[in-house]
Amino acid sequence: MKSKITRRRFLGATATASAALAATPALAGPKSHPPAWRGTERVDEIATTCEMCFWRCGVVASVVNGKVVRVKGNPEHPQNQGRLCARGNAGTRLLYDPDRLKTPLLRTGERGAGEFKPVSWDEALDYLADKLLKLRKEHGAESVAFFPHGNGARFFATLMKAYGTPNSAEPSFAQCRGPREVGYSLTFGQGLGSPEPVDLEESKLIVLIGSHLGENVFTSQINAFSTALSRGAKLITVDPRFSTAAAKSDWWLPIRPGTDIALLLAWMNVLVGENLCDTEYLASYATGFDKLAAHVKQFTPEWAAPITDLPIDKIRETARAMGQAKPAVAVHPGRHVTWYGDDTQRARAMAILTALLGSWGRKGGIFLPTPVERGSFELPDFPDSARGRADGAGTRFPLAIEELGVTNGLIDATISGDPYPIKGWIIYGQNVLESIPQPARTIEAMKKLDLVVVVDVLPVDQIQYADLVLPEATYLERYDPPTIVESAKRPFVAVRSPACEPLYDSKPGWWIAKELAKKLDLGDFFPWKTPEEHLATLLAPLELDGKTLLNCGAVSFPGQPYLEDKLPEERTFDTASGKIELYSQDLADIGADPLPRYTPPAEPYKGFVRLIYGRAPMHSFARSQNNAALHALMPENEVWFHPSVAMTFGIANGDRVALENGDGIRSDPVRVRVTEGIRSDCAYMVHGFGQKSKSLRRAGGRGASDNGLMSQVSVDPLTGGTGMRVNFVRPVKA
Amino acid sequence: MVTDLRKCVGCHACTVACNGEWDVPPGEARTRVRMTPLAGSFPELSSSTYVAQCNQCDHPPCIEPCPSGATYQDATGVIRVDQDVCIGCGFCIEACPYEARHISARTKKVDKCDFCAPRIARGAEPACVSTCPANAKHFGDLEDRTGDVHRMVFHDGARRIESASVAPGPNVFYLGDDAHLDLVQASFPPRPPRLITAGETLKRLFKPLVIGVVGLTFLGQAVAFFTQLHKGEGDFDE
Amino acid sequence: MSNAIPLAPLPLSRAEAEAMLQRQVKKHHVAVILVHWFNAITWILEVSTGIALISSPLFRVAPDWYVAMFTGLFGGRANLLQFHIALGLTWMFVLLPYGIFGFRNYVSGEMLKVTDKDDIRWLIVRTLKILGKSDEPLPPQGSYNAGQKAFSMVVWFMVPVVMITGVIMAFQLISPAVVGWAVSFHFLAVGMVVAGLVVHVYMGAIFPEERPAFFSMITGTVNELYAYNHHFKWWREVKVAQAAWDKTHETAEEAAASETQEQEPPGEAPA
Repeated sequence: MKSKITRRRFLGATATASAALAATPALAGPKSHPPAWRGTERVDEIATTCEMCFWRCGVVASVVNGKVVRVKGNPEHPQNQGRLCARGNAGTRLLYDPDRLKTPLLRTGERGAGEFKPVSWDEALDYLADKLLKLRKEHGAESVAFFPHGNGARFFATLMKAYGTPNSAEPSFAQCRGPREVGYSLTFGQGLGSPEPVDLEESKLIVLIGSHLGENVFTSQINAFSTALSRGAKLITVDPRFSTAAAKSDWWLPIRPGTDIALLLAWMNVLVGENLCDTEYLASYATGFDKLAAHVKQFTPEWAAPITDLPIDKIRETARAMGQAKPAVAVHPGRHVTWYGDDTQRARAMAILTALLGSWGRKGGIFLPTPVERGSFELPDFPDSARGRADGAGTRFPLAIEELGVTNGLIDATISGDPYPIKGWIIYGQNVLESIPQPARTIEAMKKLDLVVVVDVLPVDQIQYADLVLPEATYLERYDPPTIVESAKRPFVAVRSPACEPLYDSKPGWWIAKELAKKLDLGDFFPWKTPEEHLATLLAPLELDGKTLLNCGAVSFPGQPYLEDKLPEERTFDTASGKIELYSQDLADIGADPLPRYTPPAEPYKGFVRLIYGRAPMHSFARSQNNAALHALMPENEVWFHPSVAMTFGIANGDRVALENGDGIRSDPVRVRVTEGIRSDCAYMVHGFGQKSKSLRRAGGRGASDNGLMSQVSVDPLTGGTGMRVNFVRPVKA
Repeated sequence: MVTDLRKCVGCHACTVACNGEWDVPPGEARTRVRMTPLAGSFPELSSSTYVAQCNQCDHPPCIEPCPSGATYQDATGVIRVDQDVCIGCGFCIEACPYEARHISARTKKVDKCDFCAPRIARGAEPACVSTCPANAKHFGDLEDRTGDVHRMVFHDGARRIESASVAPGPNVFYLGDDAHLDLVQASFPPRPPRLITAGETLKRLFKPLVIGVVGLTFLGQAVAFFTQLHKGEGDFDE
Repeated sequence: MSNAIPLAPLPLSRAEAEAMLQRQVKKHHVAVILVHWFNAITWILEVSTGIALISSPLFRVAPDWYVAMFTGLFGGRANLLQFHIALGLTWMFVLLPYGIFGFRNYVSGEMLKVTDKDDIRWLIVRTLKILGKSDEPLPPQGSYNAGQKAFSMVVWFMVPVVMITGVIMAFQLISPAVVGWAVSFHFLAVGMVVAGLVVHVYMGAIFPEERPAFFSMITGTVNELYAYNHHFKWWREVKVAQAAWDKTHETAEEAAASETQEQEPPGEAPA
């Protein structure tokens, strides 16, 4: 079973050479960015890739006398076409944040006390190399776990593989889109990748299930969303909260949290029952329709209404609207989908709905990625790990994708020592205390370790548990591996190249990884001399002149986004049956539901409401709260309560309360927003606030952390994804 | 300028892009994104985003109270503030019905949106327009019959935010359905222009007082002078 | 006139008057004269540019053409403002030490004492006389008459206001609200001074009786007859001081039987 699943292409990013890309890139003559002049000042325009979030928009940094004065959208970039969100526009505020980590820091006090001394890079890397060699000798290379995030992490990923550990896990799987990738892979034979290929702009009907586009802002996605709306696309928003998207919706379905599968089943019931499915499409591409039809027969809107707390006629009306608009219906697969532990099944239900509407691989639905070939280096063989992974990917969590790993699985293993002891963590580009739930467990794990290394830009909370802190250069000061985005209608290759020299004593990730590799005697795994050479080799098959790419920032290619672009014999699916699997034999084989089934989520305790959370358009995760421009727009978060809840607890708009969860854990004080825009069985807050670090002079001590209140998780048995919407809170006196 | 509120998601990109373009310190803004309060009750709710900025009014109420003449309307109709003439007195701030002006902490002078006049002059779009992820902002000549802005205003029904009593002829139009635009109008009604107390005191008290006193003394001296002429200078010799 | 110094102005014989007309008494130090004319020029320039700076129709006191003319003359409003500020600051720079060091003289001296009966009476009689409604002689005055003192009071209260509000506006100090009030008070204070200046200029430059005073701002001296008639109290002080000086000098001269020294009347008006 395991091998069968992993053989398939879960991720768009897994490369397969394609005939479609043999042709030379169709460029409208790459436009370089010549220096501009502002009076007598020379302004150099450096095209690079944003990293204020992970969407990888193209930006142009304007540099005057070595200082980046402005970051704006790159008009030549295929993805964002010159447009850029608030965070992207605030890039210089990260670069020139005075709170940045400035030199390598070595712990002097107790772990957790946050006492450090500055050391040189030589000392820091010698210390680290010694520790790593010692750990490998005493406990085996697998005893070191790696927590990466982002493009820059790939240099470290190579290093960790060369060092000999398979234990790498990023929160983008088990805390984010993992169940989605798996659920769609089970159905269509491939996952969605990032950016998710939703053909919003061509859509006639957009269905958002818990997605809060508008508050969750990715420039190109928002552009497509807005374009669709202004062209008259209808919008169905399923959200317990009146989100920005809900305010633009034709149908807002304020669903009872955790009952989405019931709604999806009822929709399918109507589509099947009223013959609104794309029968021709299903006949050509799908298998298992009869089983599905039989399965959903019982799940009528009348059945779903009391479960979901939605009116019967609204359920039917929205299903019919989908049936009418098909196949140009974009059922957005969502992004952060680890909610209730049944998330793979919910993703399956959404995938099946997409299939019933015939919108996978169709205009206005979900489009298909176009593979982009990439070059490689002749590297020595990576050492084999006899002991396998410690995070349970492929074993405990049979469908977890090994390339991404299960963070919480690694934390479990660190605490329990099972299947083998974990002794060291290397954390790159993520904040494990904010990105992974149950932070108390994360801290417990970190305290048990012999080595904790944090590579970061800012002194976020987790550094106080580190033995060694390595200050990385920001995205505006470094090269990263090339960005190759296949899940775009026109796939593209983009670069991140430095706009200025690294500030202070910070170093780019590639330099840190390469230098550390030398000290570990793994220099052969880094056969390139400069990052430019690295870039040129990886892009060699595209016959792209590296210089051209550096000049214009990105190059796009013609894509084949729709099934109709492919020859009929190429319109296959990478599933066991070669077809869209409405009924999943793979799931049946491992004893899971082959067709999605609704299971009620844990109910809030009496006197508590469910805590749900989301994003604000001006912040990215927990990483932008210290940015002067973004902080000014939103210095702290609020907790939303329905007026009836506020009345029950005797709190008013603007009050400062602490939130207490079912385990008695209390948050920092947070301001109350009493609003009709939320159901009375839940409370909402924006993620990423309530950071404690005093070294973050703006963000420190502002707002409350939703993650801190997540002492409970409902783990998805298939993927290891941590369902986080199973924590219940009540306001108490701050 | 037309802002399409159906498209706008309230992401604040315009504010930050503008801040970056014109070195406006964080916390200040030439253009600001706001959200109307929720109308209705659960689950029949309604709300809208609103992007506030200088409306470059046809009849700008901000020019008259500017004591030094720093605020002026340029040849293209854009209201601008000559930073070399502004003294930072803030008289214009209260006069603006759209709360589009503020004193910059950096320059201590009045700052406001000028439709990115220097960018327009070199053929670029305003920074907020080019950065808007939602493509919700459109800039162009209202008179240009082939342009998007003309179409949006004259055919698609883009509206100004003005009331019966406050109608200075704003040149930022908003697109949206009537219910949402009504909500925006009701939530952010244009404020009647007001002269701040210092200005009011100057206008109603100090100016008449000074003119009166100077006038009286002048008159007194004139009387004396004519008496002097009448009597002849000799009479004063002793 | 007899040797005794009179306590009140007595009628003078023609001969006495003519003799006094020939004698000059020193009234102003050269520094005072320079400061006065610097002040005069500055005020002309600052008031004329200041008026041109107020372009708002709500507050404007000069007609459009005047504002336009000055704006054109200076090549733009920015230059006009720059000039106004630069000259104002220069003026402050010159005036401030003068004011600070002279302050004791003014406050403790007679300049600010307009309390005395003669002064009040003088203001009434002066006005009536100009209008030809009174033959009453003017009450005796010190080195400055009550009118000058009244003007000086206006100046002494208003000039600091002008300076402080000017600096606040020039450098946008404290807060926008304060700058806003500075605009209003700058206008008010200048207006009050200008009202005083109207009288000051007429009395000093046009009114024939005070013509010696006008010339004293050039030569530094007035004739004794003018001093006797217009500033009797001061004339008497000068005389008393001179007599006392003469007496001690004579005693010393007798004792030392020595050479004569050049005499200088010590009664110089406070600056």
